[in-house]
Amino acid sequence: MAALPDFQLLHPATASDAIRMRALHPGSRYLAGGTDLLPNMRRGLVATEVVIDLGGVDELTDLHEESSALYIGAGVTLAVIAANRTVQDRLPALAQAASGVAGPTHRVSATLGGNLCLETRCRFYNQSESWREANAFCLKLGSDTCRVATKSPRCYAAFSGDIAPALMVLDAKVEVLGPLGTRVLPISDFYRDDGITWLAMTPDELLVAVRVPLKTGWASAYEKVRVRGAMDFPLAGVAVALRRENNTIADLRIALTGVSSRPEFVNGLDALAGHPLDDTALAIITRRIKLGIKAMETTLIEVPFRRRITPVLAKRMVERLWEMVSTSLS
Amino acid sequence: MDCGGWNDPRNGYPMKKILRLSVNGKPREDAVAENALLIDYLRDTLGLTGTKQGCDGGECGACTVLVDSQPRLACSTLAHSLAGRKVETIESLSHEGNLSRLQRAFHEHLGTQCGFCTPGMIMAAEALLRTNPHPDRTAIRAALAGNLCRCTGYVKIIESVEAAAQEQSV
Amino acid sequence: MTAPRGVGARLPFVDGIEKVTGAARYTADLSSTGALVGRILRSPYAHAELLEVDISEALKLPGVRAVVTGADCDQPYGVIPIAQNEFPLARDRVRYYGDPVAAVAAVDEVTAIEALSRIRLRVRELPAFFSSADARKPNAVLLHDNKPGNIEREVHNEFGDTDAGFAQADVVREELYECAEVHHAMMEPDAALAVFDAERGHLTLYSVSQVPYYVHLTLARCLKMEMAHIRVIKPFVGGGFGHRTEVLNFEVICAMLARAARGTVRLVLSREETFLTHRGRPESQIRMKLGLAKDGRITACQAEVIQRGGAYGGYGLVTILYSGALLHGLYDLPAVKYDGYRVYSNTPPCGAMRGHGTVNIRFAFESLLDAMAKELGLDPFEVRRRNLLQAPTETINGLKVLSYGLPQCLDWVEKASGWIERHGQLEQKGPLRRGLGMGCSHFVSGSAKPVHWSGEPHAVIILKLDFDASVTILTGAADIGQGSSTILTQIVAEVLGLGYDRLRIVANDSAITPKDNGSYSSRVTFMVGNAALDAAENLKRLLVTAAARRLKVSVAEIEWLGEAAIVAADPERRISFTEVVEEALVGTGTLLIKGTFTCPPEFQGGKHRGGAVGSTMGFSYTAQVVEVSVDMDLGKVAVEKVWAAIDCGLAINPMSVEGQVQGAIWMGMGQAISEETVYEQGRHQAANLLDYRVPTIVESPDIDVHIVESLDPNGPFGAKEASEGPLSGFPSALAAAVEDAIGIRFTALPITQMRVFDALQKKPQTTPPESVSTASARGDT
Repeated sequence: MAALPDFQLLHPATASDAIRMRALHPGSRYLAGGTDLLPNMRRGLVATEVVIDLGGVDELTDLHEESSALYIGAGVTLAVIAANRTVQDRLPALAQAASGVAGPTHRVSATLGGNLCLETRCRFYNQSESWREANAFCLKLGSDTCRVATKSPRCYAAFSGDIAPALMVLDAKVEVLGPLGTRVLPISDFYRDDGITWLAMTPDELLVAVRVPLKTGWASAYEKVRVRGAMDFPLAGVAVALRRENNTIADLRIALTGVSSRPEFVNGLDALAGHPLDDTALAIITRRIKLGIKAMETTLIEVPFRRRITPVLAKRMVERLWEMVSTSLS
Repeated sequence: MDCGGWNDPRNGYPMKKILRLSVNGKPREDAVAENALLIDYLRDTLGLTGTKQGCDGGECGACTVLVDSQPRLACSTLAHSLAGRKVETIESLSHEGNLSRLQRAFHEHLGTQCGFCTPGMIMAAEALLRTNPHPDRTAIRAALAGNLCRCTGYVKIIESVEAAAQEQSV
Repeated sequence: MTAPRGVGARLPFVDGIEKVTGAARYTADLSSTGALVGRILRSPYAHAELLEVDISEALKLPGVRAVVTGADCDQPYGVIPIAQNEFPLARDRVRYYGDPVAAVAAVDEVTAIEALSRIRLRVRELPAFFSSADARKPNAVLLHDNKPGNIEREVHNEFGDTDAGFAQADVVREELYECAEVHHAMMEPDAALAVFDAERGHLTLYSVSQVPYYVHLTLARCLKMEMAHIRVIKPFVGGGFGHRTEVLNFEVICAMLARAARGTVRLVLSREETFLTHRGRPESQIRMKLGLAKDGRITACQAEVIQRGGAYGGYGLVTILYSGALLHGLYDLPAVKYDGYRVYSNTPPCGAMRGHGTVNIRFAFESLLDAMAKELGLDPFEVRRRNLLQAPTETINGLKVLSYGLPQCLDWVEKASGWIERHGQLEQKGPLRRGLGMGCSHFVSGSAKPVHWSGEPHAVIILKLDFDASVTILTGAADIGQGSSTILTQIVAEVLGLGYDRLRIVANDSAITPKDNGSYSSRVTFMVGNAALDAAENLKRLLVTAAARRLKVSVAEIEWLGEAAIVAADPERRISFTEVVEEALVGTGTLLIKGTFTCPPEFQGGKHRGGAVGSTMGFSYTAQVVEVSVDMDLGKVAVEKVWAAIDCGLAINPMSVEGQVQGAIWMGMGQAISEETVYEQGRHQAANLLDYRVPTIVESPDIDVHIVESLDPNGPFGAKEASEGPLSGFPSALAAAVEDAIGIRFTALPITQMRVFDALQKKPQTTPPESVSTASARGDT
């Protein structure tokens, strides 16, 4: 295991300090929990001369309930989110996603912001320097060839964060701070379908918080396919939020992770509003999910399996939530 | 005389800065490189080699220590991010030469075989018992899910944590 | 609480306190102020002719103290004296991605890494072969010129008349089984520390070895040094599981660097490098054929095994011989034909791994036996009971079985698991199905013929008794976490009747401890245990004589109480242990008492070629039942519970036996459900603990262990091995449990969620159970 390359470590006290430091050092990296960045740096995946440690920025760890939303600072740890009463009671998909990330020790350090900005992953990228060199590198490493799809002009490294799809179905908005102030955008707009630049943020911006609406009448859940009971990144992760009105679907939102370079919100499900959850509806869900999956051979587990199992998992989650809502209404 | 390596003034900024924190109950003030990982600070600077390195970063849990009573991977933590914090390693657990309840339980119930995962495993279990003194097996499994062991099949590790929890309640 | 005593006690490990306090020093923990940092340059090619290794630029870098290459060692090495074809640093040819090419010692890590980047390789790339089938193709380039067809070793033998056996059978079935390559993944990454005393020309190497004696021999060979000038020390070792039973290249490289740098070099490998050093269980294809009579009696067995052995010989020929030999010794087989092929490939060398040679073929045998029993309407327990051995006996390939507790093991797991009421009768409807499966296995208690045959005893122990009335046990047996030092201490405590506070054990420092053949093939408890027993008895005789002299009675009149000796007829006449020691040392001083153990020739296997492999004085026996649940939607298999019974002869430390059995079964579970190495054009893609899926505590089940004591006539106090046998019964028991749950039998390992999911998706809902294999080859013969 290699030591880290040399860098200067800066300790901003406020988010605006952090932004200013970033402006002075455009090639710098933000450090939050470190569980993603530091192992990547040790493998030589991230080179930077300046690291900005956000650990001392108290405002980023703010977590509070507003009139109809939960405000979660980007520096709040996944362990805190998973243990939060409001999250558990009203945003179960988020609680389940947060408690499913890596292992318990990671979650004590790992932050909301870190997971939302998680470096995309690929079996040709998450390797040692000597491995990557022997493989003549790849698009994400400055070569001109993607090793997953050799003729592709783009990088297919997979986004593998668990939190993003949960926040998507919960209709969250992210707050981004830049030199010119704060902008707020729906979390779906926070991502781009590219393994190298998967975040719709400019280098001088910092993700500071997420606002999750606290709506009534919704049920939600997050589950992922993985080999082991802990530690593993999702081979495919599914978040579902459902609102049921009597025997019809009022709203159904599904988002996926691990199956493309960004978390994928499944489009076309609004057509199901007003329909019962019957075989036709389930068939539409399955079809729509299959359209949303753009999994490539980025993991050691084969794509056809990931493609086929995702709708099966989603279907089961929808059915469970459907039953759960009916029980809770009765 | 050559001047390779750390003596080589390759970089334009100071290599080391003073780090103040508490390690195993003692205040420390050390000159530490800004890029130093907690595990290297503990092992190389302080000689606390009980904290182990079992993987190439964040995958095995052998380096688990406590920071302000919470478990933390020393291999994925910068030493300088812990200024003013309280770090505890496996070396701190015994008191006046006597094993802690978890150490005793791991010893007497064979929760340790080769011993390489043991310090990390015990520290993760220590964090659990401080917040949940009477964990059931599900809670124990959940708390130790990031700590790999290759010898025991985990059975006697779980029994060791249970035994420690029982002793604690006596 | 009274301290547990001697043999049979659930004694905590004698070195356990160091482990739980963090005081235990493993190789990477050793104080090494001033040590140079060693780093290895590894081949980025899977197969290439090495035309030039240019180190000139690396040597110019300030801070570099030594650079070594293949030119610095022209002595091939390898654990098997007749199959040494590996160099610590490649010469002329690199044969796998990761093959060491050069190494650097520098003042720090940054400099060492920089130096490696300045080394230039000029090569001519060669076609590379990543599967046995490709390597065996007629025009394949040979990895080793003297091995046509890239076959390292072929084994062909037949015992009994298999043609006649199959002719007598009522049912004959044949099936192809496949097992992925797996790796030891012991928690401590590889590491070595070499201290070269330039003034004297002496070398001390600290390493993670399971067999420091082999390391010692190999260092002398490769560095062309006098053995007397070398000292090998084994600090605490974080597991081995076979990875460290042969000398590994980094150990020799570290010594080469230290000598070249005329100083101390610390070489700590990354987890990735540890994976590349490998020596794990080979990818195997096994064609298994069995003949059964209607009553379940096995009439004949025929097996063909192809192992992808990797780039160098290592233990390979032993592995391929073991697979054939250990078909025998578990059941009563009247006729067995075996054809084995060990193939060279451009992947990291395979070697010994827990359950050496037997795990994959046992999976095949037990799986096919289950399938055929089902066809004949026989319960899996019943068919095994029809084929039990009757000890004492000798198998048709010349293996002696003197103790055999398998019947009692079967009885216990059948009852404990509720087999009769529950097998085939657990949830068969709904999204979650449950099932039970069982399997049997065995393993040797030490190879009866050591790898390096020298005519010496198989094991030597020395007890040092000195003025302080302490007894120090000196052993070369490597405690690698399995608890061998504890077992040896218990044996000595039992014989001498002394408290543990008088006993110390020093394991493994070649300057102090006697030579030992090492911790492999589960030999330590049986062989070194017997030597310890012998030594302790020798010392006790001497102490009793001294006591008699001091008490002025005959030896026969002394009653030995351990901490004291008394005159049996007159208990008032009593002297303390300290006084006995004083008397014993009069006129002689410090006593070094030796004990030895030699395995008699009649146990050293059949007369056929390779007959020594598999021979042992005692086999352990295990039966286990595995309970699973299977998620019918998602194909997820969860191991819910395991019941295992082991015949380990006598449990010298029942707690340790339980720990070994649980660890072995769990390691079998890893191989059965999730572990496999993955190579992309020869590059290991899962050389880390995220992609190589060692099970976490979350999916690891409770494992109940029951000990059957068959009291082996030759084991120390009747003891046999306990740590390898239980592994190989698991994979087939899991496959059987999955079949019980969902009606599908898997013939390829690991039985991943993907395989189960795909099979469930394909499975017609109404047809009877089918066999699923990625390379299905089922047919009646």
